[in-house]
Amino acid sequence: MIEMTNRGRKAMLRTGLLATLAFALWHTAAHAQMSHHQHASEAACEDVVLRCASKVTPAFAPDGTLWLAWMAGGQVSVARSNDAGRSFSTPVQVTKGKLNLDWGPDARPQIVVEKNGGIALAFSLFRDKAFNGQVLATKSADGGKSFAEPKPITSNNESQRFVALGLDADGSVFAAWIDKRNRVPAQQSGRKYEGAGLFFASSKDGSATYTEAQLASDNTCECCRLGLAFAGPGRPVVVFRNIFEGGVRDHAIMTFGDPQTPGEVRRVSKDDWQIAACPHHGPSLSISAVGAYHVTWYTNGKARKGLFYARSQDEGRTFSEPLPVGRADRNPTRPYVLAGPRGTTMVWKEFDGEKTTVNAMTSHDDGKSWSKPVAIATTADTSDHPLLVTDGQKTFLSWMTKAEGYRLLPIGDES
Amino acid sequence: MRRRVLAAICFVALLAPALGAATSSQLKPFGRGSWQEILRAHAGRPTIVHFWGVTCGPCKVELPLLGQFMKEHGAIDVVTISADLVPNLPAAARSMLEKAGLGSAENWIFDDGFVERLRFEIDPAWQGEIPRTILISRSGDTTTIEGSAEMADIQKWFEQQHAAAR
Repeated sequence: MIEMTNRGRKAMLRTGLLATLAFALWHTAAHAQMSHHQHASEAACEDVVLRCASKVTPAFAPDGTLWLAWMAGGQVSVARSNDAGRSFSTPVQVTKGKLNLDWGPDARPQIVVEKNGGIALAFSLFRDKAFNGQVLATKSADGGKSFAEPKPITSNNESQRFVALGLDADGSVFAAWIDKRNRVPAQQSGRKYEGAGLFFASSKDGSATYTEAQLASDNTCECCRLGLAFAGPGRPVVVFRNIFEGGVRDHAIMTFGDPQTPGEVRRVSKDDWQIAACPHHGPSLSISAVGAYHVTWYTNGKARKGLFYARSQDEGRTFSEPLPVGRADRNPTRPYVLAGPRGTTMVWKEFDGEKTTVNAMTSHDDGKSWSKPVAIATTADTSDHPLLVTDGQKTFLSWMTKAEGYRLLPIGDES
Repeated sequence: MRRRVLAAICFVALLAPALGAATSSQLKPFGRGSWQEILRAHAGRPTIVHFWGVTCGPCKVELPLLGQFMKEHGAIDVVTISADLVPNLPAAARSMLEKAGLGSAENWIFDDGFVERLRFEIDPAWQGEIPRTILISRSGDTTTIEGSAEMADIQKWFEQQHAAAR
């Protein structure tokens, strides 16, 4: 036991008070300096840690480990959790140096965890002052302890953004992204060129190297995320905002014959949204074990406005009548759908003028009917898109908010 | 001596916010309440409010056209608001505005990470797609043009405003 005299206690108290005062002054000054910047930022802080992340992407490994890839402090980092997001391993920083990561609202790092423990990652950055993007890919061969230096997914230097990664049944990684390489030759030959191309490639070595990039479909919307899922082994399916005749930015879906063979472009819905603008608001796709396609999207078309859901039982040849999602007076945004082990779940954001709420609804008949929407999470500051992820047992909401940080919430059957 | 140093520090500290405000005067920070402030400031005057962003392809095409329109129509108030979602880049925004001939317009930039709230104050149904133009008439009526605006349409609106004023 340590004995302390009264004099010693007083001296310590004084030092403590001074330290507290100094800290308080420093804290106030630092806070004043930071508050303006943080107020204007979508991130809570500037460090590379998870708490400072603006975009967080989850993936469960087959062994039930949750992996997160996030953007924070201008870097991409990865960590794992063995207790469903309550605690995380020491993060591993994937990128180094001064980068200008793609901060577009629909851009986010992509992560795929392979059966053998390998981790594939891809993300995009702005590589010049004109905001031309570049997609980089990397892998970890040691269970996430380290990552190879990220390399361009294609040797072409025209702008690439919005990469989506998916794990095929044979362990290969399929990548699709938006690519502007066809714009220049079109313009040089005097042809009008709208949007960008949907390109794809695949990797047999866990995202270390990719096949030559190929065009799946030209003239698609250049600023929206893609939805990617598999209709079966070797059958990638991509949903994207297309540019149809007359500049109509409605959604289309493509089922690949195999990972090298694009399929035909099929229209998900005739919303008739003719707009020469960046909606920054891409779709979401999930395919159930029995092959039903679930698609959810945003439109502001002549035919309909808001968030919608539709399903297809014939590989996207026909879709059900679009089902409106969310309260129209609450500006519903960022829909996400996942066909999980115990039903299909949809989440989206609503905003009431002060706070954002994530709402969820579930279907137990493969999307034919849906439960009443339930608010499952809320925040009073800026937030990432709500995402869904499954460990094969349950479906979870994965949501990063500036005020509360990262949260992983199990979604009940009754939601 | 110590007092003088202290006084000098206080003077600089007092001056600092004013200096900051002076350098950022070209791009006004758009925060909560700014939309109402703009509406109040331009009440009774036909005003073009243009929302754009530095990474938006169609915006790059439209911005110089708007700059030209402003040059040719001195009587109209032109307000631009850089509404890129985040992080917003004042230097890039300023440079693009100047190149487009809009350096002397009333230029704002989103200055709140909670963009949903900013957009909600402007139009609760707006989900952030840009470009977007709001034409505000003398009487305060608004016309929203989603996506790239045709300058011919803006010209037509301008002439209507002009005719109504006679």
